[in-house]
Amino acid sequence: MKKALAFAAALALMAGAASAQQYPTKPITVIVPFAAGGPTDVIARIVGESMSKTLGQQLVIENIAGAGGTTGITRGKEAVNDGYTIMMGHMGTHGAAPALYPNIRYNPVTDFEPIGMAAGTPIVIVARKDFPASNLKEFADRLKAGQDKLNEANAGVGSVSHTTCTLLHVQLGTKPTRVPYTGTGPVLNDLVGGKVDYACDQIVNLVTQIQAGAIRAYAIATPTRSPALPDVPTTKEAGMPEYEVSAWNALFAPKGTPAPIVARLNDALSKALDDANSRKRLLDLGGVLPEGNERTSAWLGTFVAAEVDRWGKTIRAAR
Amino acid sequence: MTQETKRFIRAPQDMAAGLFLIGLGAFALWQNAGLERGTLRVFGPGMMPTILAWACVVAGFAVGIGAMLWNGPKLERWTFRGPLFILGSAVAFGLTVRPLGMAVAAPLAVLLSSMASSETKLGEAAIFAIVITVFCLGLFRFMLNLPIPVAPWAIGY
Amino acid sequence: MFDLIGNLAHGFSIALSLQNIALCFAGVMIGTLIGVLPGVGPIATIAMLLPLTFKLDPTGALIMLAGIYYGAQYGGSTTAILVNIPGEATSVVTTLDGHQMAKQGRAGIALGVAALGSFFAGTVATLVIAALGVPLTKVALLFGPAEYFALMVAGLAFAVVLARGSLLKATGMILAGLLLATIGTDLETGEERMTLGFSTLSDGLDFAVLAMGLFGFAEILRNIENPEARDVTRGKIGRLLPNMDDIKRCIAPVLRGTAIGGALGILPGNGAVLGPFASYTVEKKLAKDPSRFGRGAIEGVAGPESANNAGAQTSFIPLLTLGIPPNAVMALMVGAMTIHGIIPGPLVMSKSPDLFWGMIASMWVGNFLLLVINLPLIGLWVRLLKVPYRLMFPAIMVFCCIGIYSINNSPQDVLFTAFFGFAGYVLYKFGFEPAPLLLGYVLGRLMEEKLRQAMILARGDFMTFVYNPIAAGMLAVAVIVVVIAVLPSVSKSRDQVFTE
Repeated sequence: MKKALAFAAALALMAGAASAQQYPTKPITVIVPFAAGGPTDVIARIVGESMSKTLGQQLVIENIAGAGGTTGITRGKEAVNDGYTIMMGHMGTHGAAPALYPNIRYNPVTDFEPIGMAAGTPIVIVARKDFPASNLKEFADRLKAGQDKLNEANAGVGSVSHTTCTLLHVQLGTKPTRVPYTGTGPVLNDLVGGKVDYACDQIVNLVTQIQAGAIRAYAIATPTRSPALPDVPTTKEAGMPEYEVSAWNALFAPKGTPAPIVARLNDALSKALDDANSRKRLLDLGGVLPEGNERTSAWLGTFVAAEVDRWGKTIRAAR
Repeated sequence: MTQETKRFIRAPQDMAAGLFLIGLGAFALWQNAGLERGTLRVFGPGMMPTILAWACVVAGFAVGIGAMLWNGPKLERWTFRGPLFILGSAVAFGLTVRPLGMAVAAPLAVLLSSMASSETKLGEAAIFAIVITVFCLGLFRFMLNLPIPVAPWAIGY
Repeated sequence: MFDLIGNLAHGFSIALSLQNIALCFAGVMIGTLIGVLPGVGPIATIAMLLPLTFKLDPTGALIMLAGIYYGAQYGGSTTAILVNIPGEATSVVTTLDGHQMAKQGRAGIALGVAALGSFFAGTVATLVIAALGVPLTKVALLFGPAEYFALMVAGLAFAVVLARGSLLKATGMILAGLLLATIGTDLETGEERMTLGFSTLSDGLDFAVLAMGLFGFAEILRNIENPEARDVTRGKIGRLLPNMDDIKRCIAPVLRGTAIGGALGILPGNGAVLGPFASYTVEKKLAKDPSRFGRGAIEGVAGPESANNAGAQTSFIPLLTLGIPPNAVMALMVGAMTIHGIIPGPLVMSKSPDLFWGMIASMWVGNFLLLVINLPLIGLWVRLLKVPYRLMFPAIMVFCCIGIYSINNSPQDVLFTAFFGFAGYVLYKFGFEPAPLLLGYVLGRLMEEKLRQAMILARGDFMTFVYNPIAAGMLAVAVIVVVIAVLPSVSKSRDQVFTE
């Protein structure tokens, strides 16, 4: 009996070693914790397509939306850590979530093996087109002076537009009236229609409206200007350097996924970011891609810890 | 119907319906008891549910009172075989689809739901279960590439 | 005017290329075939088929996707008529009279009228988009939270009219639907409401879960319980296609439905969902004998189906001209566009005219192909009703389970559907109708959101609804509709009292 057990154990070990070497031998599931069609889903599908070619196995996108993305990530955390289930984490799920959801069932820092950063989409501060401020400085002054009269629109508690504007308010020390919507579509509608005053959101959701002059952009919260919006200054240029934020998306594996497999996935992701076709598509979205050191798994690990800290402080300060 | 007009509850079905609405409203009120109502300017999370729950209770009383005033249909006979197997088959599918895959969940759902009807022939249902399963696997998993597990215990996905 | 003709000609030159016709055909065909599976509604269908389009060029991909959308919509109406399972909110109304017609052996006529009405509505809506899409955008922007709230209230007034039986019980169902809509995370504070600790409920109940449970599963339970009633109606199958007399009776409802649905579809806050309900209300009120409604009135299929398709079409306006997706299906379209590097918005028309006009022209092509594909298929669908029910219902169960599972890849959703199937059975035993509940549910989520936004923006002043002319007008319509609906039944119940 003992022999049989030992034999079985040896077999299992061998199988494990073999699977790490030959990995992947079957399709890999990528959990996207948001509905199909959103920015995170689009980024996952673009890098996933290229990674499938590199790895020789299909990456299947599984959209598990709910509770600001935490439902899908919880499922990912509980998945078998054999490298066949990975997930696309996000500024919300691996940064703001612990402060927003007290009952969250995972720890973004300790429950995952970071694979690598995929792409971020910069945050832009926008207002209705007839908002009486000509630059970011005037906008900030108006915000501080007239906080009772102004209305900020956001896509609901926990959304990127909500948390990033929370950061703006905390940094400016104001508490304006916040109007929650469900999703960015209706926010944009009321912003273009002039029913609300301003919002913060990802560039991909706003870019054509800004180009068409339907809304007014004050600044983009990245160190460099975006090629899609060359006329919009960075927050640094506009005098608010401390407001630097982008909605990042990165791949994670469940804790305990073998290191060789994580390295393999990291390599495939890096190749996807260099692939001409997928690179162009990501940049067309206004995406910011990680370069050099920022592509390593270790960098992502430290970055996530810093993000959890930053959003925790911000969200507590806003309460 | 005429001999029933003297009864206290003239429309038993409506009386049950009224009680159902009252129960639903009461349950919602109990669930929402801990939520902030807020003010008109800033509605709290509990404002709408509380208003609606009370409205349900009121509607329930109205239906119930109506049941004492006007004649209406009797409560229908309830059966258990149908709900047990039909809903049981959906529950079985939900519980097995991830751990055991569609290759188990789909035929299980077909066979269990077939039991709901007295017209079912067992052999026919078994063959049909296989046909439907093959069809669903081919369509959803292989043609459309949906991320539904097939048989994780046998082929790993 | 010349502009319009020139633009449309340009669009058709793109849409009518061999490749694009083939893609449109493939989209409509696959969309119909998947969408017709009971339990797989348009959203699930499009989400399932979306990856098929990734390998194509953007224009081709969108043409195919739009084809999938119409196909899925029509497929959804087919299941609503044949097996009484609505795939989405807008086909709830179709179940009311469409399924009754099927039970009377008139399934072919119902399907034919739906196809013809949809085609007409689609043609008109395509022209409207091409000619007036841009100016209509301004109308859409007039609608802020206060206006939407008033519109939703008017919608609830329609729900009262939907009722076949007791108005009081229908009101109870609407309230229950509104109450169910408040389940989930509170938008403003993030607090969980009535989720009973289930994480899948934190974003609220999924419409498909509720609809498949209350309609789909409960319908099967009812059929199994009353095999006699079911078999009698199953035996006879009448004419396959509508005759001249049917078509004559449908002309006016189709015209009205097209106008109503098209107008509501323009609103970016998912106004299209109200179209079929509003059309049904209008037809029921205009009919000489309203009691026919709910018992297989052909007008109750023709009007709402036209409204449905017109709205489905015009809901592209906010997407194409504003870049704002009005509903879940359109949000998927946005995703498909961004994957192809096209970010929808006001500039698409000037930046990618090929795509813009090609897509509009392909809408008409898609509607035409839908008709061409579906008129012959009607015979097949109707013959499917001849499949013995003992085989049909297990198949429906499996399709429903897979369809629900694949929306969120969530097994819990399947369990919840089973629960609502039981709830639907209980409601049926208590003499309730599920349609008003579903409408209340659909409108409820938007209604609370818009009411709270309006109150925040007005700083708590209820007069905002009175000062605002559009909102005030719509609230007045709501009151009038309810009064008209309630008056006859009040006098009727008085009669009841007096006759006793």
